[in-house]
Formats: sequence, C-alpha cells, structure tokens
Amino acid sequence: MKTASSDSRTETDFSETEAAFATFIRRLIQDAATLRAIDSGEVDAILDPVSGRAILLPEAREALRQSEVPTNQVLATLPREEYQRLRAGLELVTLTFGDVLHEPGELIQHIYFPNEGLLVSLLTLVQDRMGLEIGLVGSEGMVGLPVAQGIDTSSVRAVVQGTGTALRMESSQFRQALETSPALQRTLHRYTYALIAQITQTAACSRFHQVEARLARWLLMASDRLQSNSIHFTQEWLADLLGVRRVGVTLAASALQQQRLIQYSRGNITILDREGLKASACECYQKIKDIFDRA
Amino acid sequence: MRRKPIVIPSDSAAVTAAVVMRLYVVGGAPNSVQALANLEAICQRQLKGSYQLEVVDVLEQPLRALADGVIVTPSLIKLSPLPAAQIVGNLSDKSKVQRALGLEEKIW
Ligand SMILES: [Zn+2]
Repeated sequence: MKTASSDSRTETDFSETEAAFATFIRRLIQDAATLRAIDSGEVDAILDPVSGRAILLPEAREALRQSEVPTNQVLATLPREEYQRLRAGLELVTLTFGDVLHEPGELIQHIYFPNEGLLVSLLTLVQDRMGLEIGLVGSEGMVGLPVAQGIDTSSVRAVVQGTGTALRMESSQFRQALETSPALQRTLHRYTYALIAQITQTAACSRFHQVEARLARWLLMASDRLQSNSIHFTQEWLADLLGVRRVGVTLAASALQQQRLIQYSRGNITILDREGLKASACECYQKIKDIFDRA
Repeated sequence: MRRKPIVIPSDSAAVTAAVVMRLYVVGGAPNSVQALANLEAICQRQLKGSYQLEVVDVLEQPLRALADGVIVTPSLIKLSPLPAAQIVGNLSDKSKVQRALGLEEKIW
C-alpha cells in the first residue's frame, strides 16, 4: 500500500488475510478442475476437513447477507421492527422445480414467502392426476394461507416451478407470530382477498376461455410474478397446469410465436411484445391484476 | 424440503436405469442456485422419466459432504449407474455435465 492514509493498515490486513486464505485453499485442494472452478468464481464454499465446517467464499457470503433483506413483498411491506421479530423464525431455503410444499388433506408444516424469481403453483387434484392450476403465487404472496386463518391442513397441492429461494417458517410459530403482528395481519387479509379473487377468476377461465388466450394470460401472470420476460417450462407441465392436451399448448404457443408475441425455444419462452400478448390474453389477466393492484 | 430426494417416477417410455445423483450446495448462494437450475434443465430434457436427485446443504450437513469426498460446493456426484463421477462448479458447461452423467451430448 503506497498511500499513507489511516486505513492503509486495515487494507493491508485484509489483503494479507485474503492471501493467506488463497494459500490455505491451494494447500487443501490439489485437484486441477476444482482449482479452475474456484478461479473462475464457480464455487460458493469450501469444506474444511479439519474443523468439519463449510467456509463461505466472499461472494457467496455477500449474497446470503443480501438475501436477508426479503424480496418477498408481504415481508417487505412490514415495519422494520415487526420484520425483525419475525426474522428469527424464518429460514432461507432453496427450492427446485417439482418440490411439493403442501399436499391436499395433509398438515401444513411450513408456510413459505417466495423471494423474487420463485413461482409456486396451487393445484387441485383430479383423480390423483397432476392437477389443474387454480392459483399462482410468487414474491407478491405467501404459500400456506390457511394457517393464517387457523386451518392447519392444505386443500391444494403447492408445487414449485423453477428454482429459487423462499423464507419459510414453521406453521405453529407463524401462527404465534401473526398474533403479535398487526401489520402482517392486515397485509395477509388483503392478500387473501386477492388470492380468492384470482382462484375464482381462474375457475371461470378454465371453463370458458380458449387455450391460446389462457396461455397468454398464464405467461403474463408468471412473468409479472417472476419480474422477468423469460419463463422456463415444459409443454407437458403447462398442459397439465391448464388442464388441456399437450398438442393444445403446442398449437397455442406456435400461434403466439407466429404473431411475434413470444419466442419459444428449448423450453424457454421469452415475451417479445407484452402489449400484444395482453391483447391476446383473455380478460382474466387484467381482472386479476387490477384486484392485486388495488388490494 | 431440500433434504427430501426428488423422485420422478419413471414413465412407460423410459425404462432405462435411473440416474441417482447428489448435489452439494449452499442454499441461496449464487453458484448453487445456478447449478441446480442447470442440472434441472438437463435432467428434464434428457432424463425425463428416470432420475433421483438429492440436494444437500453443506451449511447444514458438512460432514456428509466430507464423507462423500466433497471439498467445494456446488459439487455434483453421480452415484449410479457406475462408474461414479463428480463434477464441481455451477454446471454451466452442459457437455461436461452430460459426460459426467453418461448422457448423449445433445445441443438443444
Ligand atoms: Zn380467462
């Protein structure tokens, strides 16, 4: 350090620590592929066989620290003090495609606040088949709403779409926390109202609207909740969610693609023209959105 | 939730032996999230009917990782079919993952 400022010492200390850490890593790891992965920034943590613990690399540590600020909007609206109280009981979990959070008729063990980028489908099951989607929850909401109403079993299957994180809490703990958190109660009352409206509208939609318009609606809803124009899914999965045959989804997707509203490739859909897609969607999209915006 | 293996039942089209994998991660850390997403994409396309994936968070179960010879995360281990294979990093190199899993190198 050439500058003789007062903080040059701490900087030196810091780089010495970094250098020592790098040496430690190199002594620990002799495998070339592993070292390459570390050098290219593809590693989150190193396991120390001596202490038997995982040591987080700086970037991973920073990311985890930042994720302590919730991107879930229910939690984000809470006064700081209320959130701090809740936080002790919240656990950050990574969820992946297909994870089942709740099953119909089964106890709700945890409630989940999805962070940005995670989508959860609420399905009703028909004859044990993969069910029809009746609701879609993203970072605007919470999964396990019955618990807030004092009901401890689920009436739906809640399935994760894509990969992302959520903050979860044990149901019993959540119920207690809710009693002492008036702001959370108010937020969840509004969210409950909006979700019921979404479910009602979705039921009508499944019965009366065409596949293409429903697919457009679903893509817009998913994109709103993911805050992204790019959505990953398979056609089989979407066909199940919409309760139609796969060929129906294929035809609808290619029709939307021909109108240059979306681009579909490799299980990824990119929305090219949002306004155009809105025009193709059934009225349900706007109705549901208005209710959520007002709630 | 994340310690529960994701078991996708095999459908009639795919009667090949199931690929059994274990992915060691740090829940919520960027490379781990990335690795999961990348692996998922490959599995959904190429292992449709038959794979088992267990995701283990090393902040919760570091000793399991060490017992498996894992020294960094994310690390993917293919346990079966033999030979076992291990691959580290965020699994963004698709062909490397396909090779490690013994899959055809497909470009989608
Ligand atoms: Zn509709």
